Amino acid sequence: MSSGYILKYVLEGAPITLEIAAGAWVLGTVLGLVLALARQPGGVLGFGAASVITILRCVPPLVLLYVVFFGLAAEGITIPAVPAAATALGLVEASFTAEYFRAGFLTVQSGQFDAARSLGLSRSSTFRLVVVPQAFIFAIPPLLNSFVALLKLATLASAVGAPEVLYRGQLVYEQSGQITTVVIVIILIYLLVTIPLTRAISVLERKMQRSMR
Amino acid sequence: MLVEVGTMVGWAQTLWTGFVVTIELSAICSATTVLLASLIAVARIHPRPLVRGLADAYADVARSIPLLALLLFVYYGLGRVAQSYGISAFWLAVFAITVSEAAYLSEVYRAALQAVPAGQQEAAASLGLPWWRMVWLVIVPQAIAPSLPTTVNAVVGIVKGSSLASLIAISEATLAATNLVSETFQPMGVYLTLTLMYLVILIPLSLAGKALEFRFGAIRPADKSGRTRRRSLISVTPEV
Repeated sequence: MSSGYILKYVLEGAPITLEIAAGAWVLGTVLGLVLALARQPGGVLGFGAASVITILRCVPPLVLLYVVFFGLAAEGITIPAVPAAATALGLVEASFTAEYFRAGFLTVQSGQFDAARSLGLSRSSTFRLVVVPQAFIFAIPPLLNSFVALLKLATLASAVGAPEVLYRGQLVYEQSGQITTVVIVIILIYLLVTIPLTRAISVLERKMQRSMR
Repeated sequence: MLVEVGTMVGWAQTLWTGFVVTIELSAICSATTVLLASLIAVARIHPRPLVRGLADAYADVARSIPLLALLLFVYYGLGRVAQSYGISAFWLAVFAITVSEAAYLSEVYRAALQAVPAGQQEAAASLGLPWWRMVWLVIVPQAIAPSLPTTVNAVVGIVKGSSLASLIAISEATLAATNLVSETFQPMGVYLTLTLMYLVILIPLSLAGKALEFRFGAIRPADKSGRTRRRSLISVTPEV
């Protein structure tokens, strides 16, 4: 089997990998923002949000995926492998995203908060109109980094049969027996995608820090 | 979905044998990861560009390869050869997890080494200490405390990552659960029991990491300009 065929076969999994990572990223970002906001005021709600974050941080993503995919299916809720993987990874991601937003909130100076309050904005509109938009900007580089991490985590979906890059690689290995070619192809795909992305993000991060000063 | 407590306790007892392997695997991997990450971090601040370049390249490449991919590559690619030398899949998993996690941790350790004030290095140099003794006696001891929180977080990441070893037929906790599911046909109950057991182990560890972070501050890797930000709230544990 030619290495061109193997490359083509594996690359056909790329859209699925992208789909899983993108789905998980959207879910993780939204849920992370919600958790970070809920955590703000403290009290019962804040404690609840902090607990959810801690729990999500301590569950292995593969186990969470099994709960979402096999567990729910046995209870009559059948979710196909791709959305199941996006859900499980999104939940895991939310625990990290929540921290990025919290760091963002802390970076938005408290003076801004006081200024908005003194203009007569309510607590919730201060958050909605002043704090969250600025915190979001601070959170952009880590959020982009977490997308790169999700591209790698998406390989876990192979465990439930989603035809992403690694799963396609396993299939073509079984057909061809050419382990070396398959390994090189998959490593090259990941290197060529993640290293430039990571570099670009760190450039962006540096530019942002300079403009903030 | 509702499972009696008695059944769950029974399952937990079955899963515990798997957890013994999980703990063994994680403990060994934690030790080897800290060791390899330290060596790589020191190599990354080495005065020779070649040593620095090789260590940087390792960290860049190893961080780009998904852990599960690395595990499968090592298992399918080296499994047969390793077996002929009497090396079991368990040690292949140790190898893959170490190579992957050490790349992340070396980034943090390097930042900790670079955060030691330059004056310390100059003072050591003026005493005539050779480079490696300067690193060992002056730089490393001051970098240990600030590295502790991330090290604990990395251990949490290693325990979570060890669940992937179930996919190369190592009978740790997650594989024990999968086997139990094929006997009981109750995936929800079994996997939730498994989740609870992971939480019991990992939440105290994770809280300890948080406490250390509060005490020492978290380290972020220096950006390319070489600046290190110590007191950031974002920790950089790999998102495994």
